Amino acid sequence: MNIFVLILGMALVTYIPRVLPAFVVDKLKFGPRFTKFINLIPYTAMTALIVPGVFSADPARWYIGAIGGAVAILLACFKRIPSAVVVLGSVLAVMLVYIII
Amino acid sequence: MKNSALKSYINGIKKSVPVFFGFLPVAITFAIMAANVGMTGLETAAMSVFVFAGASQIMAVQMLGSGAGMISIIIATFVLNLRHLIMSTCVFRRVKIKSFFLRLFGAMAVTDEGFAIITTEDEENCTVPFTLGTITLIYGSWVVGTLIGVLASDILPAIVADSFGVALYALFIALIVPDVKKNGRLLLVVAITAVMNSVLCLFFQSSWAVIISTLAGAAVGTFLVDDGDSAGEVAT
Repeated sequence: MNIFVLILGMALVTYIPRVLPAFVVDKLKFGPRFTKFINLIPYTAMTALIVPGVFSADPARWYIGAIGGAVAILLACFKRIPSAVVVLGSVLAVMLVYIII
Repeated sequence: MKNSALKSYINGIKKSVPVFFGFLPVAITFAIMAANVGMTGLETAAMSVFVFAGASQIMAVQMLGSGAGMISIIIATFVLNLRHLIMSTCVFRRVKIKSFFLRLFGAMAVTDEGFAIITTEDEENCTVPFTLGTITLIYGSWVVGTLIGVLASDILPAIVADSFGVALYALFIALIVPDVKKNGRLLLVVAITAVMNSVLCLFFQSSWAVIISTLAGAAVGTFLVDDGDSAGEVAT
């Protein structure tokens, strides 16, 4: 696969929804159901990307991803913990496991 | 006239400074993951420069790592970034741009963060220079962060780079857990999607399973969540 062709494709499908409304701003109206649908997509997309993928984070050891995920969920429950720290905590936990093993 | 345009521009930059701190770790994570799946520094930088959408870039890198084809990645990117269509409508209603070329450029303000800043700022301050200021800082942070990550991935010891394998999942978890915790219906939608995807992955290539579960899960969700849920802002 030519990565640059992929990037071009991704760029186009990302840019067009961003720029289109600029030209038809008064003619675009979205019904409540459609809006709900679109706003749910980030949540369902990320969920689909997490499960069951997280268990293959380390292809040889399913528990690595499970531990990283569990730590992330725990940290993310605290409102005061920024997402960068959640990621860091998860990565550190996994590193610890790798060192111990 | 020129002075107030400059002030407006600087105001846009100032209001976007928090985004810099939020973006840096995400961009670095993206760059390290890209390096882990074999992308070169140039390819990694190019993706950030031309796509400029964190969650979909990270998702694309993960899909590349699991052998997904180009078409499925592009479709997945489109689906994940569809929400920009709605955010863009809000942004361009607030920021009135007459020039054709400035509209093309202004589209870059349509990110989760740019959207959040522009829609929470007083409408009278949402001038074109203000918007350009936010674009400057947000886009700049993303590209600079990616470059830092590209450089860092070269010097990171293997054990750190390997541990970043969970970074993607941790990031996504960090983004959805806060809202899911507050909203039982959203939790239900998430649970249904997770089960659906796990089942689909047994029969389909994971990249297509993800696209199907994403859309099906969201569709089912429209019947479950209330109108009051502003499930709008996922900050990557």
